[in-house]
Amino acid sequence: MERALQQIFNFNRKPADEDKDDDLSDSEDSVYSGLEDSGSDSEEEEGSDDDEEEGSDDNDDKMKEKKEGEVSEEKKKHEYEHDSSDEEDIRNTVGNIPMEWYKDFPHIGYNLDGKKIYKPIRNKDELDDFLDKMENPEYWRTVHDKQTGSDVVLSDDQVELVNRLQRGQFGDVNFNECEPMVEFFSSDVMIHPVTNRPADKRSFIPSLTEKEKVSKLVHAIKMGWIKPRRVEDDGRGRYYNLWASEDSSILARHKMHLPAPKIPLPGHHESYNPPPEYLFTDEERALWEQQDPADRKLPFVPRKYSSLRQVPAFSQFIHERFERCLDLYLCPRQRKMRVNVNPEDLIPQLPKPKDLQPFPTTRSLVYRGHSGLVRSISVSPSGQWLASGSDDGSVRFWEVCSSRCMKTVQVGGAVKSVAWNPNPSVCLLAVALDSVVLILSPSLADKQVILSSERLLSAQQEGEEPAEGNGSVVWSEAEGEELNQGLRLKIQHPKAVHQVVWHAKGDYLASVMPDNTSHLQVYIHQLSRRRSQNPFSRNKGLVQCISFHPIRPYFFVATQRSIRIYNLVKQEMTKKLQTNSKWISSMAVHPGGDHVICGSYDCKLSWFDLDLSTKPYKMLRHHKKAVRGVAYHRLYPLFASASDDGSVIVCHGTVYNDLLQNPLIVPVKVLRGHVMTHDLGVLDVTFHPTQPWVFSSGADATICLFT
Amino acid sequence: MSQIQARFFTEDKRYVVDDVPFSIPAASEVQDLSNVINKLLEAKNGNKVDFDFLVRGQFLRTSLSTHMATEGISTVWILTGSYDKTARIWSTEGKPAMTVAGHTDVVKDVAWVKREGLTSLLLTASLDQTVLLWEWNSERNKVKARHCCRGHAGSVDTISVDPTGTKFCSGSWDKMLKIWSAVPTDEQDEIEEPADRPRKKQKTQQLGLTRTPLMTLSGHSEAVSSVLWCDSEEVCSASWDHTIRIWDVDTGGMKTTLTGSKVFNCISYSPLCRRLASGSTDRHIRLWDPRTKDGSLVLLSLTSHTGWVTAVKWAPSHAHQLVSGSLDNLVKLWDTRSCKAPLYDLAAHEDKVFCVDWTESGLMLSGGADNKLYTYRYSAQQAEA
Repeated sequence: MERALQQIFNFNRKPADEDKDDDLSDSEDSVYSGLEDSGSDSEEEEGSDDDEEEGSDDNDDKMKEKKEGEVSEEKKKHEYEHDSSDEEDIRNTVGNIPMEWYKDFPHIGYNLDGKKIYKPIRNKDELDDFLDKMENPEYWRTVHDKQTGSDVVLSDDQVELVNRLQRGQFGDVNFNECEPMVEFFSSDVMIHPVTNRPADKRSFIPSLTEKEKVSKLVHAIKMGWIKPRRVEDDGRGRYYNLWASEDSSILARHKMHLPAPKIPLPGHHESYNPPPEYLFTDEERALWEQQDPADRKLPFVPRKYSSLRQVPAFSQFIHERFERCLDLYLCPRQRKMRVNVNPEDLIPQLPKPKDLQPFPTTRSLVYRGHSGLVRSISVSPSGQWLASGSDDGSVRFWEVCSSRCMKTVQVGGAVKSVAWNPNPSVCLLAVALDSVVLILSPSLADKQVILSSERLLSAQQEGEEPAEGNGSVVWSEAEGEELNQGLRLKIQHPKAVHQVVWHAKGDYLASVMPDNTSHLQVYIHQLSRRRSQNPFSRNKGLVQCISFHPIRPYFFVATQRSIRIYNLVKQEMTKKLQTNSKWISSMAVHPGGDHVICGSYDCKLSWFDLDLSTKPYKMLRHHKKAVRGVAYHRLYPLFASASDDGSVIVCHGTVYNDLLQNPLIVPVKVLRGHVMTHDLGVLDVTFHPTQPWVFSSGADATICLFT
Repeated sequence: MSQIQARFFTEDKRYVVDDVPFSIPAASEVQDLSNVINKLLEAKNGNKVDFDFLVRGQFLRTSLSTHMATEGISTVWILTGSYDKTARIWSTEGKPAMTVAGHTDVVKDVAWVKREGLTSLLLTASLDQTVLLWEWNSERNKVKARHCCRGHAGSVDTISVDPTGTKFCSGSWDKMLKIWSAVPTDEQDEIEEPADRPRKKQKTQQLGLTRTPLMTLSGHSEAVSSVLWCDSEEVCSASWDHTIRIWDVDTGGMKTTLTGSKVFNCISYSPLCRRLASGSTDRHIRLWDPRTKDGSLVLLSLTSHTGWVTAVKWAPSHAHQLVSGSLDNLVKLWDTRSCKAPLYDLAAHEDKVFCVDWTESGLMLSGGADNKLYTYRYSAQQAEA
């Protein structure tokens, strides 16, 4: 067997060797494969040879006997090696051919001597056969031999053998197929090893040939001679989209389907026997009847019946079904795509308050001395003095840097408004109380300034009595003790004065007398000529506050809901600002004159950009309660609002010269320092003219300076 | 305090000396004083006598200076200006010695020109836009207005006398600094203004002779709040316009500007450590180096006050100590080597502190809106009203 294998292998190898000789240079592949074959062959041959030789040498007796038996068998086999037809019936020498070929001959073959074997004389016909079948008890074991043409009767043993083979059993009766197996190699460690051969050297030396082979493979891969197996792509359409031809809109509609909203389930209200708290009281019933059918919470009145039998038919049934159908038909139902936006992204990027310094941050000084709520404060244009008017009937003058009260003037009435003349070359203070506007000369300035202000007051033209205003405004000079106190002029108005403001030049001042019924609400006074005039001939609403434009001849009048801007030269209205608030409380004009802020009693602060529109550019709702006062800083981009909630909010408001750029408004600080008194907090707020400081006066009779 | 003014009295007719003050060294002991008397009496009677001396009913046993220190006798006078339109002179024990009245408005700042000797010179600056130069005779306790310095058009908020005592500088709300002569003369400076009626009237009422400024330094854009002399040629001024400016008095030009971010209330300069300390309308005391040309570098911030710092003053004899007063009613003693926290909080005032100062002997003084002047001794922490 081994020799045969060897032969086969040799046979295989031969052409490869020839190949190698033929084209050694061009076909590396063949060289490689040839080497591979030869290597493995030689090794196996050697191995098997060694195994057998050594194995036969060292073995114990039992094994030897077995081996000998095997060897003897092998020898017998070797004797008949070329005679594979020993079991053949060789009486007929025609071989294994279809016997039909001898059908027409009298013989059916030749015997070993070359003599014809004649067919037996067939005298048996079908009838004989049948009779034979019926009568011959041996018939079932008679077999017709086609090669000899004779019938053979099988012996009992033969029949038995046939039966056994048919059943799939071994032919040999004595063969026990269920003999217990003697395991030659088992997991048990035996005392005596099966082979006591020392381990081969090659088992612990890395194989050189393997290495060579691998390196050749690697080289071949590197050179690109061997390519990895290509992965077949499935792009030939093994799979296909079943729904490709489907209309996507239909699918989308299915996906976006929204079921109709369900009718709410009936509750206790609908019950025929509701708990008593669900039944309407008389008031509720009256209310229900009063209400518009659309506003009613329930479309019916809950009723109580003693039994289900007595419940009448629901009269509203048809109507209700109709309404429902109408709802389903008319109300479009569609899924709203909600945009997933981080709410913080929507907040505009505002600069940090830290970058917007300076602005007031802490309460530095408290000016104490008043005994009533301080309605109004005003800082002198130099920034050295602060004037305050209070409900205790006094006007006080404070030194700003030390909070010392330098002067107290008793004016004998709750002071509504104080205003320092903005002209730095005069030192005058206008005070509004009851129906009088007082002009005070506090003599807190250089002597030249005091002189010039005295001169301004005394430079009146005699005999030129104001004809306008029906003589209702009376100018009079102060006398006696009042003169010592600093009082200079009294301007008597027909009605209670609420506010007094100066024009930037310091010669004109305007006063407000809020009155809804008359057109006599605003007076403009000229100090040097002691004239007063009422600029408006018609009542446009309750005037809340007024202001002069800081540069141009405009005049701002705030009524309850709107601010009107009048051109004083042309004597006409130029603009009307809609504040969208219910009741304006205060107003301030930007020193540039193009912006107005206005506070209102409904907690709002509106910023108007006069160049932009008549609607507020920005509404700030930072205060919890009514805004009482607003103020702009003269130099710094700051504005402040004071409110009844006891806080002053300072905002940064940069205004750009560029018309395209809108003002930048950033709230920077909430200042608290006043104690809430009688539900009132901060009443007035004003900025220092040169420093980023803010003053606030409160209902707790103090004034605070925040720096 | 090297020289002390002393008078000698005796009931013994033999040893009577002239009733005039003598200037004697403060370190002199009993023997030295005896020698002085003997020297004086040499003409009258030749023989030497050992005298004993009673100082305010106590025998003098040590040197005069130590005796005065232990007995609490001082020759240091404290000058205060007040919102009641007067200035007052106090002894360090708190006894009022003199009231200087003459201003028609609040006294904003006061300064000594000369304290040695019997006649002292002092200055008061007021809201009525004038600075008055007074001569005070401590012996007879008489005060006389020598000069009325007119020229400012706003309240004079601060004055400072130069180290030589011949000039002083004033800063005013009208943004100007003016340099004046501090030497009393008997001649009145000419006023160039045309004399109109009310001027004349005022002149007749005016105390002392009118004096006009030697020089006007203008450059600040806001009120000047504090002024001092760095040395005899340099004036340093702090202002509400957030700057500290250093001026050259000789040329009248500005040398350096240090820019801060807040209104300056006060500055103080220490020649020992050559630093400027400033108090602003915030909580911090800032230290500056006036020599830096680029300006706005704050060397150190001392933060402990909770209100505006209204007054700072370097210790006259210590390079690291300064005292500060604030609107939070506290006076704090600082050591610049421990900038995190003050050495001491001196909580005596019940209202805002407006001014602080040191005496030569190391006493700290503070005045405030509660109408009180407190002195503090540093080692003993003893405060007296």
